[in-house]
Amino acid sequence: MPVSPHPVLASSGSFLITPSVGLMIWTLLVFVASMLLLRRFAFPAIRDALDRRQKSIEDAIDTADRTRVEADKLLAEYRERLKEARVQAEEIVSRARKTAQEQDHEASEAARERREQLLEQTRRDIEAETRRAIAEIRDEVTNLTILATEKVTRKTLDSDDQRRLVEDAIGELDFSALASEN
Amino acid sequence: MSTRRKVAIGFGIYIAVTIAIIAAVGWKGPKAKGYTPQTEFKLHTWVNLGIFSINKAVLYLFIAAILTCATMIYVARRMKQRPNRVQTAVEFVFQGLQNNVVGANMDRRMAAKWFPFIATLALFIFYSNLIGYIPLPTSTETFNVFGLHIPAFSLYAATANLSIPLVLAIVVFVSYTSEGIRAKGPIGYLKGLIPAGVHGPMAGFIFVLEVLSNVMRLISLSVRLFANILAGHLIILFMAGALAVILGVAALGWITLPFGVALFAFEVGLVAALQAFIFATLTAIYLGGAVSHDH
Repeated sequence: MPVSPHPVLASSGSFLITPSVGLMIWTLLVFVASMLLLRRFAFPAIRDALDRRQKSIEDAIDTADRTRVEADKLLAEYRERLKEARVQAEEIVSRARKTAQEQDHEASEAARERREQLLEQTRRDIEAETRRAIAEIRDEVTNLTILATEKVTRKTLDSDDQRRLVEDAIGELDFSALASEN
Repeated sequence: MSTRRKVAIGFGIYIAVTIAIIAAVGWKGPKAKGYTPQTEFKLHTWVNLGIFSINKAVLYLFIAAILTCATMIYVARRMKQRPNRVQTAVEFVFQGLQNNVVGANMDRRMAAKWFPFIATLALFIFYSNLIGYIPLPTSTETFNVFGLHIPAFSLYAATANLSIPLVLAIVVFVSYTSEGIRAKGPIGYLKGLIPAGVHGPMAGFIFVLEVLSNVMRLISLSVRLFANILAGHLIILFMAGALAVILGVAALGWITLPFGVALFAFEVGLVAALQAFIFATLTAIYLGGAVSHDH
């Protein structure tokens, strides 16, 4: 590409440091216009957005702190309640155990009483039975004695008188030894 | 392929092409007559409006201002609670200016008042510097495409012209001086220039020095920006071929090209933002210093 030098060429560089009034006024105008535009339309919006974000971050941190405190409080409360519940549960269990033991005890007591009653009853039955048996034996002995006496004397004894006599004789005998042997 | 191997191959190609060019066209060549690098920065009137004539610098000013306002307003109108990358970058810059540049140098009320000024300065200078690294068809040189003389694509920056940093520095000077006078009164402000603890005839001498240093701020503020950007552009220009044209050594253009690319990246990546940051920070420091009572 051929490069054609411009006809007007300055060989000196002094124009570089010679201020131009027109350019300075242009600069001033452009700069002031830019500043007014930015001050009106750009900076407040950016500042507000940054402030808003900062506020929202602070709010978020505050909320998080508050939530944490509340959560801690709730947790403590639940722990307390759990402890209470555990204590109550233990109390209920121990009470139930005690009740069960008492009932158990009462039941065994009742059973024991019943058993003793039954034993007593049995003992009484046995005693009654023994007495009856002894009476029967006595009758038997009386009858045998009468029979034996009739055999020996070849004489019929008048039933009632003889019987009374034999009974008196036998009555002096002690049959209690029979009962105690049972 | 390992990185070491890639670098070795790249360097080998670089040396081989250098040797090939030197072998083909020789070391000596015709020197360009009448070419001066600073011509790239000469302003030619495009539209004649007297003192308000439109030239390349005015065009760059407008591009910078429009880009600054358009991008910032575009982002500002779409601020989201969950930012994307662009918004994050803008927020980073905004908060950096708000907290580290403006907020660190003055109290809250004054910061709220001066933030738009200082932030606009920083953004405007940053955009001006940055678009200076985009090649635009604004050169006085032309090249011929099918009979059409199209201006060559070249780098130019509004901030590489002294007038623009200078007027910004003047605005800064007027701002902090008036703020200081408002805070302390005219006499109080002038008295405040003398450091505490200086009495007698020494005070007069120090006062003169301080006044001079205040005026020098105008020069230091504007020349720092202007010279940095101008030097950056010139060295990119030299490395990208001007050196070869001036000395008439074609091979030199190839040799210096990698340095041109590296310097371009350095200027775009660091200097453009750094100079805007320095200008804004110094403005904030001057404003804060003008109203502080411990000076």
